[in-house]
Amino acid sequence: MDDSNGKKFQKDLNGGLVGLVLLAVLNQSTEDLYGYEIAKRLASANEGVSIFKEGTIYPVLRALSAAHLLTSRIVPSYSGPPRRYYRITDQGRSVLAEWTAIWAGTRNFVDRFIDKGHSP
Amino acid sequence: MNRSAPRSIDHYLRQLREELAAEDAALIQDALYDAEEYLRAEVAAHPDKSESDVLELIASTYGAPDEVASAYRDTEAKVKAAMTTPRKVATSGVSAFFGVFLDPRAYTSLFFMLLSLATGIIYFTFAVIGLSLSAGLAVLVIGIPFFLVFMALTRVVSLAEGRLIEAMTGERMPRRPIHQSGTAGFWSRVGQMLKDRRTWTTLAYLILMLPLGIAYFVIAVVGLSLSLAFTFAPLLYLADHYGWFYPPGNVHMNPAWLESLWALPFTMLVGVLLLTLVMHLARGVGRLHAMYAKTLLVSPAAPTAAGVQAAAA
Repeated sequence: MDDSNGKKFQKDLNGGLVGLVLLAVLNQSTEDLYGYEIAKRLASANEGVSIFKEGTIYPVLRALSAAHLLTSRIVPSYSGPPRRYYRITDQGRSVLAEWTAIWAGTRNFVDRFIDKGHSP
Repeated sequence: MNRSAPRSIDHYLRQLREELAAEDAALIQDALYDAEEYLRAEVAAHPDKSESDVLELIASTYGAPDEVASAYRDTEAKVKAAMTTPRKVATSGVSAFFGVFLDPRAYTSLFFMLLSLATGIIYFTFAVIGLSLSAGLAVLVIGIPFFLVFMALTRVVSLAEGRLIEAMTGERMPRRPIHQSGTAGFWSRVGQMLKDRRTWTTLAYLILMLPLGIAYFVIAVVGLSLSLAFTFAPLLYLADHYGWFYPPGNVHMNPAWLESLWALPFTMLVGVLLLTLVMHLARGVGRLHAMYAKTLLVSPAAPTAAGVQAAAA
């Protein structure tokens, strides 16, 4: 299979999924997380290889924050520029519940056709 | 892609800046800030590897500069589309003229004009005290640390003013402060800050906010009181004259012919027209001021550490 075809498909899929995954990660976490930490959590959940390019999560974090689904605070860091720590808001939780339901519905719908080919 | 893969953080940031060259200056500042946070954390997390070894793997984890740049472009476009509710823009003359009353930007800009007297006084005082104390203390030991703290505060004030302007006028301003790379030594960073055009234009902005703030405040107050007086004086006069209710004090309009019944509606009409003009003026001032602030506070050409090294290379 052509590699660029696969890449494009993955990129199209990721469009909305990054936001859902970020909300889910922050909802699970008991503490506030900063961008690098979130990126590493995503990677470690998938044997060290993130499905998303980690650079793509930062603009989405900012977008979610601008939409009041996340709040953030800035903490100075020794290793580089001050880090921005994110936390999910109540509005973010209700959006997450809504998106989770949509995702489950979509996944079931897609699986219904894809599984046909494999099951006897 | 025929360009070499970045082998250092500065090299990476430089390529990212080039990829985003056509974008909004504020977006570039945010993207560079995020990338630097990630790259420095990644290098710090692998103390056993050299910076270039870590950077070698960056394209498969963080993404190559062109991928990251396109992620920022896409997200920015989507957020902009989602955050700005589509407004029916009146194109015909009369509704476009009075449509300004439905534009939230006109009200926020008017508020900004009134507020700018206060912020102008604060900024002016801050900049003048900071500069003169820096000059006065320069001969003493504490002079240099004082000046550096003052410059750091200036950047915070500049970011805050940017947030205020984005809230009031909708012009995209940076959401992250300016950050200089930590690779260069302390004194070379100080030197870069002094050479940075933006350092001095920011100070100029803070000082110029006082005269501008006074002008904005006067224009807004005079415009509002004139137009509101024209609009409501006839009503108050009628109320007083026919005893509908009693406004405090006697209402008289000069010259006396304004009190004749045929002139009252015209006076009100003039008031409404004036008020509409004031709203248009406020919106225009808001737009112009946002452009002016962006030129002085955010500059894509300003040499950061990465930029200075690129120029030296």
